[in-house]
Amino acid sequence: MSYSFLHSSDLHLGRAYGGFPEDIRGRLREARHTVITRLAAAARGAGAADVLLAGDTFDAETPSPETLRHALRAMAAEADIRWVLMPGNHDSLAASELWRRIKADSPSNLLVLTEASPVALAPGVWLLPAPCTQRRPGRDLTDAMSAATPEGAIRIGLGHGAIMDFTSDEGSAGIIPPDRAQLSGLDYLGLGDWHGRMQIGPATWYSGTPEADGFKHDTAPGALAVRIAASGAPAQAGMVPTGQFQWLRPALDLLPGEDTAARLSDILPPDARRRDTLLRVEAAGRLTLAERAGFEAQLAAIAPDFGWFDSDLSRLTTEVKADDLDLIDRGGALRRAADALLSETADQALAQADRDLAELALSRLYALVQEVGV
Amino acid sequence: MKIRAIELTNLRRFAGQRARIEGIGDGISVLSQPNEFGKSTFFDGLHALFFQPHRSAKAPVKALQPHAGGAPEAAVEIDLPEGRFRLEKRWLSRATARVLDASGRLIAQEDEAEAWIDRLIGQDLAGPSGLLWVRQGVLGMEPEGASAAEKSERERALHARRDLLSSVAGEIEMMTGGRRMDQVLARVNDALAKLATTTLRPRAGGEWARAVDEAATLAEQRAGLEVKAARLGTDLRQRTAITRDLAQCADPTARAREVEALTAAEQTLTSAERHAEQMAKAEGELRLARLSAGQGAEAISRLQQLQARLARAGIERDKAQQALTESEAVAQAAAGQEAEAVTRHETAREELQTLANRLDRAQRAQLALAARDRAASLAVEYERAERQRAAAEAHRADRSLLKVTRALLDLAEKAQAARDRLALQDEARLVSVRLNYQGEARVMIDGRPLPADGLRLRGATGLDLPGIGRMTIDPGLSAESDLAAQLVRADEALARALAACAAPSIAHARKALAETERLDAAIRQADDMLKELAPDGMAALQTCLAEARAAANGVEADPGEDAVQLQEALRVARDTEATALTLRREAETRHATLRETRAAREAALQSAEQALAAVQAEAGDAVDLAARLQNLTAAQPALAQAEAEATETLARLTADAPDLATAQAAVSRLRSVVEGRRRDLARLQSDLAGVNGSIGALADEGIEEALDELRGREATAAARAARYEREVKSLARLRSALDEARRAAREAYFSPVLREIDPLLSILHPGAALRIDDTSLLPTILTRAGQDEALDILSGGTREQLAILTRLAFARLFARSGRRVPMILDDALVHSDDDRIEAMFTALHRVAQDQQIIVLTCRQRAFAPLGGERLVARVEGA
Repeated sequence: MSYSFLHSSDLHLGRAYGGFPEDIRGRLREARHTVITRLAAAARGAGAADVLLAGDTFDAETPSPETLRHALRAMAAEADIRWVLMPGNHDSLAASELWRRIKADSPSNLLVLTEASPVALAPGVWLLPAPCTQRRPGRDLTDAMSAATPEGAIRIGLGHGAIMDFTSDEGSAGIIPPDRAQLSGLDYLGLGDWHGRMQIGPATWYSGTPEADGFKHDTAPGALAVRIAASGAPAQAGMVPTGQFQWLRPALDLLPGEDTAARLSDILPPDARRRDTLLRVEAAGRLTLAERAGFEAQLAAIAPDFGWFDSDLSRLTTEVKADDLDLIDRGGALRRAADALLSETADQALAQADRDLAELALSRLYALVQEVGV
Repeated sequence: MKIRAIELTNLRRFAGQRARIEGIGDGISVLSQPNEFGKSTFFDGLHALFFQPHRSAKAPVKALQPHAGGAPEAAVEIDLPEGRFRLEKRWLSRATARVLDASGRLIAQEDEAEAWIDRLIGQDLAGPSGLLWVRQGVLGMEPEGASAAEKSERERALHARRDLLSSVAGEIEMMTGGRRMDQVLARVNDALAKLATTTLRPRAGGEWARAVDEAATLAEQRAGLEVKAARLGTDLRQRTAITRDLAQCADPTARAREVEALTAAEQTLTSAERHAEQMAKAEGELRLARLSAGQGAEAISRLQQLQARLARAGIERDKAQQALTESEAVAQAAAGQEAEAVTRHETAREELQTLANRLDRAQRAQLALAARDRAASLAVEYERAERQRAAAEAHRADRSLLKVTRALLDLAEKAQAARDRLALQDEARLVSVRLNYQGEARVMIDGRPLPADGLRLRGATGLDLPGIGRMTIDPGLSAESDLAAQLVRADEALARALAACAAPSIAHARKALAETERLDAAIRQADDMLKELAPDGMAALQTCLAEARAAANGVEADPGEDAVQLQEALRVARDTEATALTLRREAETRHATLRETRAAREAALQSAEQALAAVQAEAGDAVDLAARLQNLTAAQPALAQAEAEATETLARLTADAPDLATAQAAVSRLRSVVEGRRRDLARLQSDLAGVNGSIGALADEGIEEALDELRGREATAAARAARYEREVKSLARLRSALDEARRAAREAYFSPVLREIDPLLSILHPGAALRIDDTSLLPTILTRAGQDEALDILSGGTREQLAILTRLAFARLFARSGRRVPMILDDALVHSDDDRIEAMFTALHRVAQDQQIIVLTCRQRAFAPLGGERLVARVEGA
């Protein structure tokens, strides 16, 4: 009577990554496509024949014909796996063309859930889906999971949406009740929408995306391998990594006198992983002129190692002392210019933008003086 | 240091000689000597003493050697704070260098002497030749030549200025940032130039511009895709709505309900239509009954009216007959009145005519008498005029025979005078031969004896002297034979003139001219008389005369009546005739009117008789008419009963009638519902097909993926553009900070020398200022009246003055730094005009208060106003 399956969601096939350079953009898109194969492998590894996708398989309501065709062909290629596809908010039922095309071109191992009515996955195993009717349905679609199923059957809910409002940091209350599994007598409630993996209750999980697509979530991308021994038995859910790229956003809080190179080295992934890593270093604190120049040089030196690299130094202030300005010049016009810029950085009568500009100009002056030498 | 004496030996101009200037004072000292004296030789010797090692054999040293050869020598005596010293150098041969003190003690010689001098130069005379010594012909701030020596001199002067300025204002490198500042600024400018224009806008082709352009392009593409995406969304929503509507439209239950309702409505309508047919029939019967009753009443009314019309026509005919009879009587009376008025008018008109005839005759008789008098008067005038005309004609005939005029006579008289003069000349030159015979023999000429009164010979003439022979006398006039020809021509001219006057002689001509003038006067007098008598010509006068005679002759005998009385009688007769005419017209008008009235009444009678006949014809027999009227009146009650019954039947049916219009509306509405559903189905299916097509096409484009990508790329490009903008702003801020710092440093650096130059400059150019270039450390721009002028475009005189003023300023700077350096001007100020040169002298004196200045000049008069101490150069054999 036990039943195993792989719970995943938010594949967002066809995501464009327009904000990234062309080379990494192509790799990221390709990684999203190949995650289908990795999910199939993960299912096999977990002894599951079904992969339940809890919405947002596609990033757009009308993905390009290539995206759709490639996805359906990749699923078809994994012939021993049954793909259970449910609309999410990105690919809701309002995307009627998408679902019309999927149905028209559906491989035999694809089960499309466009109705909120129970579906028998296996003998004694019923799936209660709550497909998204609109991008923002405005009501609790998981009510449908209370539908009756044969007595003693394993009841698995599949939904998409927010229990918490994940678009805000405060996490205001969402629409799906956190105790939906209990309310509807579910043995397991698999949810999608939240790209990080998260357990809501004993039998309620967000699987997270199998291939990371941003810096927001710190959890490693993967899927949940779930096993339910029998109706009423606790579901066993285990994470199976499936991601190719890792998105890292390490924070560095620096102070003058610190070994910035060492601090930086501590947060970097191993060299072998860097090509498949998108790294954004977020530095805060303060450094001296020379230290900042050195830190920026260190960042510039490691940047090419990564699939994509960026640094945010907006919260890293430059601490300038007289000794620092001596490194520019001890007197004369250069020193006079440096003094003027430094004075501006602390001039509260100026707008913050102007003070920042002066700080930037001062750093630039320092760097240029070092370049030209004595 | 102050120079007290200069001594040159065997040096260029002073070959084999020693030239010495001594007694050089503290302030201005002037050596004023004519050209070729050797002033510049002193300058060059002094320069070599300080700057050419005694062992040097370079060109500048060789240039000191005189043509005669030998070793040139130079010496200078100077005052230092330590005392007086003498510096000596000898070049080329047995070269030496020595430094002696005031007592003549040798302080240093050879290399030690050079070192001593170098120290002196290093401390006091840094770069004097370029900085403070103005060589002859140098216009600018420093030597302009390309030779190594001149370059070296320029470099030395620059070092001297730099050293001097650094000593008073700090190290220029340090102050202005020097090379590092230049390199930093260059990199900032390079970085800026790659990104931005001079106005800090994105530079075309630069990274910033590319980012901005890319963001704009992507935004444009995104906007286009967003339109498509919106359309796709709209289409999808529309398809959802259409699908929903289609489902509702095709609902079989609703359709069955509509068909059932339509069937019921159609049955109701059939029933209502049947009842309506019964009502229509009842209405027809009622209309028929009403028509029959109406027709009977109408026939009665018509016959009654016919009877009345017949009676009225008989009365009208009788009235017309009566009126005609009355009209004829009145017309007859009016005809008699008209005849009487006509008679009276004709009588008055005849009397008027008679009086008019009589008056005409009387008036014409009066006119005939006047015409007769006028004819007589005109006949007298005509006769007188005729006489004058005949006289004038006779005078003109006589006058026409005379040709002479005053001019012709003058010509003839001149021709006569000319001819007479020639004749007298001819006569005077003839040879007169006259013989007084004493014997018998006679001299013969041409076979005849010589005339007794002699002979006047014009040409060679042969005389036969009987018994002697033939003697030929030739007066020898052949050379003057032209006189005869002239005389002939004069005769001919006289003849032509007389012929023109139509006179044989002058006397005749004069007489003829007098006669001519007399005749002209007589003609004018006759013409004047004629014009007086017949101003319009004889023909007109004759016509007037004929008319007057005709008027006089055509008049009947005078009737002897008074025309005035006749005119009064005629006026009375006219009034009478007019009154009679008026009465006649009134009578005629009234008679005509009455005639018209009678004719009208005749017509009215005829019309009344015709109307009566017509009514009689329509009515027929009067008895029969009355019978018909009676029959009709008797049938009226039965007809009224039938109408009342039909009315009741219709009212009953109307009360029971269903609402046919409502039944029809219900059927129409339900049919439109059924038809509408059919049409909606067709339309929705068509719309669905259209939307499906549009969605399919747009979905094939993968719009959302492309849009997502574009949005990301656009945001990236915009962020990149923003970064470049921030970069440009920071670079611009850095550049402005560097510029400002360097400008301030320069001002601080150059302020000492500008402080010295400004008061001197104001002597020549009040309010002007000089700007110093931080490379050459020399003025390059003169600012006057707010206008910048590069020094190299100024006049030679101004450049020369500014160069000297600058040296004076540097000299003062030396003085302020405790190093008093002599200044030497060799034939300077050669381009300055009188006013400027005096101003320059003032400037020199201003500086000379604490500065030694040695002036070498050949312009003795021009430099007289300079004042100062006059130097004397003594030259003696070496």
